[in-house]
Amino acid sequence: MTCQELDLRLDDWLDGALAGDAAREVEAHLAGCAACRERERQLRQLLAHAAALPRSIAPARDLWPGIADEIGRGWSSWLAWGTRGFQPLALAAAAAVVLGVAALVFTRIAPERVRTVTVTMPAASPSATSFVSGETVSDPELAQAEREYEEAARALLETLQRRSSVLPAEDLARVESHLQVIDRALAQVREALVKDPENRELNRLLVSTHKKKVDVLRRVVRLSTAL
Amino acid sequence: MEGLVGVVIGETRIAMREDEDRRATELRLVRQAQAGDLVAFERLYRENERKVFGLCFRMSSDPALAEELTQEVFVRAWRKLSSFRGESAFSSWLYPLTVNVALSERRSRRRRDARIVATEDPASLERAPRSPAPEAGFDLEKAMAALPPGARAVFVLHDVEGRTHEEIAQLLGLAPGTSKAQLHRARRLLREALAS
Repeated sequence: MTCQELDLRLDDWLDGALAGDAAREVEAHLAGCAACRERERQLRQLLAHAAALPRSIAPARDLWPGIADEIGRGWSSWLAWGTRGFQPLALAAAAAVVLGVAALVFTRIAPERVRTVTVTMPAASPSATSFVSGETVSDPELAQAEREYEEAARALLETLQRRSSVLPAEDLARVESHLQVIDRALAQVREALVKDPENRELNRLLVSTHKKKVDVLRRVVRLSTAL
Repeated sequence: MEGLVGVVIGETRIAMREDEDRRATELRLVRQAQAGDLVAFERLYRENERKVFGLCFRMSSDPALAEELTQEVFVRAWRKLSSFRGESAFSSWLYPLTVNVALSERRSRRRRDARIVATEDPASLERAPRSPAPEAGFDLEKAMAALPPGARAVFVLHDVEGRTHEEIAQLLGLAPGTSKAQLHRARRLLREALAS
């Protein structure tokens, strides 16, 4: 084995990736070559040094406020978007969960009023997401229903945009997050409907999720006007 | 001897239980964050910021840029949180996202630098980055910062983070052989730099 060949195998040998004859050849060369032994020593030193470097390093400043700002900034653009058109966000989650969480937000905004608001659906309960029970929606009806709900949501978003200055920024950010979850649920249902357009349960779920979105918006608007 | 074995087994059980508790707490926080709870997400951030910043710093060799990258990682994590199903630790889910953000920045910076060099101060590109922890292997940090970006990324992932070539290949979108070649190059350059 030449020094050049050893150079090509030294990494594997040090990483324990060489066995049997290949490993013995490297060892034999090292035993008889002082220059390669020195190279191996330096490499071992380097690897020990690298392995000792801390993998966790604290940043010099608190980065969370910037992250929270960036997450919260989506709210104003979301409100603005509400006036332009409907663009559901990606990803999916159950809308029933949102209403459970939204209740907490409402409690923060107006604790004394939330008692009169019935947002007590059990999280992730399939029946809770289908409160337009018995409704069977064919395609044209579904399209019409979607248009109506989108229009209602848009109008409420415009109202909320005008009222946004009276709501605490943190609460707005949380409400936005909840609405995003509803939109993700809508996107998921729509996606499923593309694959299975005749599925009545999906049709019903789409309508009920729209209804929830409008419901959430209506309650936030109502509470914001009460502040 | 049996007593010692008993102590070791007992400590292992305690450690396993603590690990399970930690995972359960983490999963609960993730579920809350998935439902829009920013406070829960902040706790996840606090648990993971050092690891994410450490990796961003090693990949970029620039503390200021590493701060921006860390923020970008967590903003993206928030947006993608619904795709986390709890099958692995949250930190494992964050890892490829962190590498991806660091690499995307490197690519866009390379394009940006290519445009800027002709009109702005070229010496600015040669300024040594500041190290946040000079006492922890400062010479190696400096030498790593001077590595070509591809070689540095592989060296960091393999020799600092302990990832295998197969994992690195997947993370960086390379063939394992390319990862090995980059590591060989990085080690050679670092050995030469540290020996001089």
